[in-house]
Amino acid sequence: MGLFIVRRFVAAVLVMFAISVLVFLIFFATPGVDPAARIAGRSATPQILAQVRHAFGLDRPLPIRYLLMMDHLFIKQDLSSYVNIGDRVVPQILNAAPVTLSLIFGAAVIWLLVGIAGGVVAAANRGKIIDPIITFLGIGAISVPAYWLGEVVLYFTQSKLHSSVFSWAPGSGYVPLTQNPGEWALHLLFPWLTLASLYAGIYARVLRAELVNALNEDYVRTARAKGLSERRILMRHALRCSLITVVTLFGLDVGALVGGAALLTEVVFGLPGVGLLTFNALENLDLPVIMGAVLYGAFFVVLANAVVDIAYAFLDPRVRLV
Amino acid sequence: MSETVLLRATDVVKNFTLRSKQSGSRIIVQAVAGVSLEVRRGETLGIVGESGCGKSTLARCLVQLMPVTSGHVEFNGVEITGLSRRQLRPHRRQMQLVFQDPYSSLNPRRRVGDIVAEPLRINKYGDDEVVQTRVDELLRIVGLDPASVNRYPHEFSGGQRQRIGIARALALNPSLVVADEPVSALDVSVQAQVLNLMADLQSELSLTYLFIAHDLGVVRHVSDRVGVMYLGEIVELGDAETLYERPLHPYTEALLSVVPELDDGTHPVRERIVLTGDVPNPSDKPSGCPFHPRCPVAQDRCTTEKPVLVELAPGRSVACHFPRNVA
Amino acid sequence: MSDARVSTPLLEVEDLRVSFNTREGLVQAVDGLSISVGRKEVVGIVGESGSGKSVAMYSLLGLVRDANVSISGHVRYEGREILGLPDDEMRSIRGRDVAMIFQDPMTALTPVYTVGWQIVEQIRAHEDVTKAQAHARAVELLGEVGIPDPARRVHLYPHEFSGGMRQRVVIAMALSCHPKLLIADEPTTALDVTTQAQILELLRRLQATYDSSIVLITHDMGVISEMADRVVVMYAGRPVEVGGRRDVIRTPRHPYTWGLLGAVPRVESKRTRLVTIPGVAVSPLDLPPGCAFAPRCAYRFEMCDQRPALRGDDGHLDACWLDPTRKVEIRRRVTETGVVS
Repeated sequence: MGLFIVRRFVAAVLVMFAISVLVFLIFFATPGVDPAARIAGRSATPQILAQVRHAFGLDRPLPIRYLLMMDHLFIKQDLSSYVNIGDRVVPQILNAAPVTLSLIFGAAVIWLLVGIAGGVVAAANRGKIIDPIITFLGIGAISVPAYWLGEVVLYFTQSKLHSSVFSWAPGSGYVPLTQNPGEWALHLLFPWLTLASLYAGIYARVLRAELVNALNEDYVRTARAKGLSERRILMRHALRCSLITVVTLFGLDVGALVGGAALLTEVVFGLPGVGLLTFNALENLDLPVIMGAVLYGAFFVVLANAVVDIAYAFLDPRVRLV
Repeated sequence: MSETVLLRATDVVKNFTLRSKQSGSRIIVQAVAGVSLEVRRGETLGIVGESGCGKSTLARCLVQLMPVTSGHVEFNGVEITGLSRRQLRPHRRQMQLVFQDPYSSLNPRRRVGDIVAEPLRINKYGDDEVVQTRVDELLRIVGLDPASVNRYPHEFSGGQRQRIGIARALALNPSLVVADEPVSALDVSVQAQVLNLMADLQSELSLTYLFIAHDLGVVRHVSDRVGVMYLGEIVELGDAETLYERPLHPYTEALLSVVPELDDGTHPVRERIVLTGDVPNPSDKPSGCPFHPRCPVAQDRCTTEKPVLVELAPGRSVACHFPRNVA
Repeated sequence: MSDARVSTPLLEVEDLRVSFNTREGLVQAVDGLSISVGRKEVVGIVGESGSGKSVAMYSLLGLVRDANVSISGHVRYEGREILGLPDDEMRSIRGRDVAMIFQDPMTALTPVYTVGWQIVEQIRAHEDVTKAQAHARAVELLGEVGIPDPARRVHLYPHEFSGGMRQRVVIAMALSCHPKLLIADEPTTALDVTTQAQILELLRRLQATYDSSIVLITHDMGVISEMADRVVVMYAGRPVEVGGRRDVIRTPRHPYTWGLLGAVPRVESKRTRLVTIPGVAVSPLDLPPGCAFAPRCAYRFEMCDQRPALRGDDGHLDACWLDPTRKVEIRRRVTETGVVS
């Protein structure tokens, strides 16, 4: 098992390296494009262009350029944006990260609880009226785009019903956890619910399907023949085996979200997370920030994949031998 | 009766390389460990063995569905090992396969008529009309209504699907039919119908069968000669009648003794020799004689020295240092 | 009082009928099965696919989970009616008084828990013992079924056992609460012949040790011949012949049984031709009002339009209108010529 974990992490490191090379090539080696102009931004003066050329070694061979880039990014951490002159990329990202993480963490807890509960209830009552109701709600939640839902929530909490029902709802913005936990949670409440609703729907449906499948398996038949209660069979046998899929899905979803896929929610609610940062950088074509964000995102996705593989081995003993 | 050897295998070996994910090291699994046999024209040679003995792999190697690791296979006197696909084509027409699972060996998306016609079309048998006539003929031969051509496999029962598979195999008039567990997935009464059909076809069309199965009763019923396989090797080979009455190899003896038999008073009940241990894994072969860990009469020599298949009596060979029931 | 208990059969099934309401129509899976299982008796139920043999036993224990099923008849365990009992009452019978094991050992156990955990779960579901006590019993059981080094292997996962070993674990688990009746649904069909021999020997030994009864469902007449005291032959959901093992195998009285026995290729003797039953198995959607086997029977006559009841003497019954002497004559001809027509 230990060897498995080590090998998995080594593989993750190699994948990160490959991604960094790919990102680098996309930004710096696309034929017909002048990287210096891209990095320096739209309103670059010739001096800035020259500066950029020198700093990134654009006259040097490709591998050296790559190493220089990595150096700027990780070691010196002095890669700076040319659009918002002087703003260092890495600190920007590091400041935005906790916001995204707070958003994801809270939403994840909610969607896991609601999704799993929904899936279990639907499967346990399959055929009865509550089953299609949960399915319907789930599909509804999945179909609604996050930005639309976010705007609607904001509309109700900030304008329409602000004076009556939702007077306690704060405006957009983020309050750090360390500063004021109560305000932190309050500001994040509606973003959490918005983001969670999308995923809760998916998880409930996926889990329900897995559970119904599991309940038709031979080992469940054996469990019934043993005289176990349906509840025990559902929770201890079927759910335990179905969780494997859910955990895999969860790891990948969280990885992608932390990497910036929560962008729309952040934009709508004005949370200064990595998603919003990337959004703004895209609008301004702020290349260094974009590059940093891409690598940051890729890192989390790769990490999430590795963690999921290892979790999978913990959950399913059959995988450990392979 | 011509004694021509239709298929001859000499020292066929088939290895699979697996990588143990845990240690990362490679293991070589010897699925077929040096098999030599002959299939004579007009006969039915039965190959019997339990799971993991390599009989299905052997069948596929003999018809060149997978390349052998070493050894030679001659068909009709011509060496077919190592031939390219194109070179194999003319020989392929002469040897055909019938598979075990009637539910997965027919493409569910194709009509029965197309399934049976496919070998004819690939080998440019003739124009559409000629092909159609042949397909009708084939379906009739296997006892199916020629109107079946437009139906899909799922509309037929297991036994009928197996008949379709047989019709397909017979399309090009092969001389050798290799049947890999053709009746294992069928109910007893259906099994009987298919076995009777295969026997009829053999005499009508002068077919030679290589019949692979794990069911000892079925193998006895169809075979003229029988080979018993264990862990990739033939441990006993000989005339079916005498092999069943007087097995030479301890494994054959044990195997025959534990087949649940009908106590209908027509024959004495055999003494049961229940072997200990599990059917072994080919990736974990014992030293010396592969059977020695489970052999009720194994001795020291068996753990170190591997026995070779030796002809003890005309038409009876066995690979054992201490064969049983030697006359 | 004690006399009455001894003579009460352990399990009594009376006119069990199981049907499914499907889109294609009503499927009559079991159509009037009546059998009784005595103490320490092995009853074999033999039939091909579609005969209803498995569905019948599943319905006994309330294991049929299809919402479209309807079950009628009587099932008495130790004199007590158990058909139609609410699930929580059935649960105390399942696994404790009556245990069931199934065909495929490879998928019978939950893959994510150790075998020890699963055996302990069953024990603690029915008995008030501590985990340690249950665990010790699990180790003992594994040893009893012939698993080497049970104290270590109790901590292993199902996939770490071979097929034959897994079936032994399944048997150990089924017997953990000392049930009086074990229902085994094709327990050796998925196993190799040599492994099958080991498992059958194990079942015989355990049956003797625990004085339990076994209902053995199989399609293999040879297994019946080795294991069963009494035999029930089923076709199209109906029992067509019932009797002692010797009687049914040596002097079968129903044309289907003749066909079934004659169709089996034998190790002991080579026939020139296997007996075949013409046609295909009857569809359960389309059962004839009379004898279900009549459409395929070479000896049918006018009476066969009425459904024959099981009749006979000395406990050897068959559902066939043919005259007894005629049956003997036909059977002799079938055995000699190998042809059922």
